[in-house]
Amino acid sequence: MTAPGLARGLRVFWWALMVFLYAPLAVVVFFSFNQINSSARFAGFSWQWYERLFANEVILSALGNTVILALTSSAIAVVIGGFLGYGLYRYRRWKLGWLIWLIYLPVVMPDIVFGIAEMTFFVTLSQYIALFTPGLTTMIIAHVTFQVPFVALLVNARLLSLDAQLFEVCQDLYATPLQRARYFIVPVLTPAIIASALLALTLSIDDFVISFFTAGPDSTTLPIYIWSAIKKGVTPEVNAMATLMIAGVIGVALLSLLIQPTTSATSSKRRSAS
Amino acid sequence: MRHWGSETRYLLLSVAPGALCIVVFLVLPSVYLMGMAFLSNGPYGLPTLPLSLQAFRELAGFGFLGWSPGNLYTLLRSLWQTALATVLVIVIAYPAAYTIATRPVRWRAIMLLAVVVPSWTNQVIRSVGWMNILAPDTPVSNLAASLELTEAQMGLFPSQFAVIVGLVYNFLPFMVLPLYAAFERLDHSQVEAAQDLFAQPWAVFWHAVLPQTLPGLMAGTVLVAIPAFGMYVVTELLGGGKATMVGNLVARQFAQASNWPLGAAGAIIMIVMTLVGLRVLRRLGQRLGGDREVVL
Repeated sequence: MTAPGLARGLRVFWWALMVFLYAPLAVVVFFSFNQINSSARFAGFSWQWYERLFANEVILSALGNTVILALTSSAIAVVIGGFLGYGLYRYRRWKLGWLIWLIYLPVVMPDIVFGIAEMTFFVTLSQYIALFTPGLTTMIIAHVTFQVPFVALLVNARLLSLDAQLFEVCQDLYATPLQRARYFIVPVLTPAIIASALLALTLSIDDFVISFFTAGPDSTTLPIYIWSAIKKGVTPEVNAMATLMIAGVIGVALLSLLIQPTTSATSSKRRSAS
Repeated sequence: MRHWGSETRYLLLSVAPGALCIVVFLVLPSVYLMGMAFLSNGPYGLPTLPLSLQAFRELAGFGFLGWSPGNLYTLLRSLWQTALATVLVIVIAYPAAYTIATRPVRWRAIMLLAVVVPSWTNQVIRSVGWMNILAPDTPVSNLAASLELTEAQMGLFPSQFAVIVGLVYNFLPFMVLPLYAAFERLDHSQVEAAQDLFAQPWAVFWHAVLPQTLPGLMAGTVLVAIPAFGMYVVTELLGGGKATMVGNLVARQFAQASNWPLGAAGAIIMIVMTLVGLRVLRRLGQRLGGDREVVL
């Protein structure tokens, strides 16, 4: 193929790819405004499914649970994971290989095995300790467990990209550990901490499998509600709920881009360069 | 001496909460689950003593009615669907990454973002999207029917086709990102050298481009194939029981079928195959010249 032919071919391919990537989301949004209960034929514009959504107590409580779960687990994961990432960097000359292995475990473990393992564990434990009765608490614990590695790896990557001598500079200036944390480590890590908090948020909102298996009867989240609703068939109401979630996640993601203009492309480059 | 002591204390303070969290709430439950596989199936599907290997026998297909290949087929289907989806992802991601890497710099971030954004939405919702598109009586289904690819009114979902589409859709970004990183670092002098030697375009690709992008390709394969093998949501929603994978087989033992030991035995197989798969892909990546940094 000649060079201009190749370029034209790639352009066509690119737009076909965009259609493939966005058609499923577009269809969900489009049919959520359908006047009739169908996702095959569009009869006219209507807000009725959204009105029903906000009149449905079960859905509102599912929305509440989703938000509580995402915010609480992310907040805990950022603190625990942040310290883990820092410790991993600070004491990297100690033999911590097993720790890296441990951190990668939640990342490579199949979701379904992760979820079921937690379920059997919590079900057994709850016979002795009421705290572990399946519900929001167990879901938060499970979410924190899979968020921690991502936070730790992000924070660690940021520290690895720093000049190691900066730590010595702090020492040369007789900074106390507290001053070093206050004026050097925290400011330097702020972008990484914000990025990892937003990543933890999207991970939590994205998750279905682990939530599904650790949830109790009163801790239904939006993805779990959608899951049980589509077992009866996809309705415009499901589409409306999905639309709100798409908007929410894309909103958080765009927010993260505004706060931190480095995209995944540049951060992955930095990681591979370090 | 005191200094050393405080170092240890700081190390423990920073690392211990995270490490403990993973050990107590992931390692321990996994070990507990794996132990269950060696118990007998009790009256309510809950595991009881005595210890036995019955669950593994059942998993291998030995039941009341003699041997049946059902579970073996599920395992082979999982491997086949994972492999097919991974190959399709590579075929789509390769030109996509190349396209992005050849655009002006200011466009690249936006194009990468365009590829990644759909994966930020919930897996269930992405599947709902494909259910909307592939259901009977939609334009796409009607087109397929009029081309006689499917029977009329059947729709493209639920089917194995829908599962493969769902898998490709889910994991495409994980291949595009590392491939893009590889293309971005591509040493163009090698390509020019090949062209100066009057190599055919395919030869340029084979000898100058492909070897340089192999590390990215291997990294992407790890990121796609490993989670695809453990897939649950897509097969459950888009397959309608026609394309079940090991994950669905395992989950069923804890929900409808209620045979925890059998499910636990299946979970062991999944964990073992995931770890073996990681190791094989990593070895392969190193042999093909991938740098250890990229390959997990």
